[in-house]
Amino acid sequence: MTKFFACFVFLAALVAIPASAHHSMAGFDRTKTVTLSGTVKQFKWANPHSWIEMEVPDGKGGVMPWNVEMTSPAVLIRAGWKSSLLKPGDKVSVAFHPQVSGEPGGIFVSVTTAEGRTLTDKPASSAAPSDAPPAQPK
Amino acid sequence: MRHPFLIAAALLSGAALFAQTAAEPPQLGALARANLTKPRPKPPFDLTGTWMHGGGPNNGFRFSPPPGFKLTPAAQVQYDAAQKAAKAGKVYHDDIGQCWPAGLPVIMTRVWPIAMVQAPTAVFMISGFMNSTRIIYLDGRKHTDPDLVVRSFNGESIGHWEGDTLVVDTTGFVDDHHWIDTGIPATDALHIVERMRLIDNGNTLEIAYTLADPKSWEGEWKMTKRWHRVEDTDITEASCLPDLNEHMPSTHSSVNVR
Repeated sequence: MTKFFACFVFLAALVAIPASAHHSMAGFDRTKTVTLSGTVKQFKWANPHSWIEMEVPDGKGGVMPWNVEMTSPAVLIRAGWKSSLLKPGDKVSVAFHPQVSGEPGGIFVSVTTAEGRTLTDKPASSAAPSDAPPAQPK
Repeated sequence: MRHPFLIAAALLSGAALFAQTAAEPPQLGALARANLTKPRPKPPFDLTGTWMHGGGPNNGFRFSPPPGFKLTPAAQVQYDAAQKAAKAGKVYHDDIGQCWPAGLPVIMTRVWPIAMVQAPTAVFMISGFMNSTRIIYLDGRKHTDPDLVVRSFNGESIGHWEGDTLVVDTTGFVDDHHWIDTGIPATDALHIVERMRLIDNGNTLEIAYTLADPKSWEGEWKMTKRWHRVEDTDITEASCLPDLNEHMPSTHSSVNVR
């Protein structure tokens, strides 16, 4: 049974790796995770990458747009996502690895919805922690 | 007196040219019915299926140069610049992120499935990544005259069978925005030979690569990659679009060196 489970985890990991990215991800600082609360402006469900554009209060009475890059819908579906999961106007809290440049954006780690539901881009069966850096192609 | 001789010679060479033209009918398309139905030996295997690169040891997605590799001066300039960018935490020429085609060989090891359909005359490969199409002709044709070939990122692939191995020879590559690995440019002199085998009861595709590009490096680089069949997925449409890229920090970052 343990062997079976180990095999399953291995297969799940194999399936999880695909579509993580299609090009260099060296511009993100994977040693840091930032969490920001804001309002969803757009949630794009698309190949090769989905993304969340959110508006975050800038502390000066205005908002700052932040883009959080995600993996492909095929991978998100395995992690329990649907295209209708986020809508414009939704209040969310998004965790991501920030850009090394300091520009407002990052690569997705997890989202917590107004209802308190948290989703990552890893399948529920995957033993990998949600913020483990996956193998990335250039 | 030489005049009649020249006329005779011209007539003779014209007749020879005509005979040659007549002996070589135009190449039939790979999906022409007359080509598909031509009698041929049964192929040793059929690649039809959906394949995913990865898994197992020594099977990374990168086509990294071997230890002790030696680049040409032109390629060394690019390589040094890429090393310098990496040290500064920057991304060097991420052309794929800017919508340039990945091209062979790296298109084979993107983290996306590849649909392969094998006909008697050709193997059609469509990557789930940008739906990049690659055709390996098996109908006995020769490479297109280099003076006529329309150069491409996936090149022109011609295959033939050697025992249980499909040997694929690819040339005709573009000479810009095409990379073998970070900072290692592919040029129009790139020549790739792939020896393809099905192992593990047909569940694993193994390709032994020999990469040569005398304009970028000395000698041949050899490496072997493996793909496994995936039975529960299909490829889907994927396009590199300006409005998608606008929202992707990775393609817009100021750390990208272009």
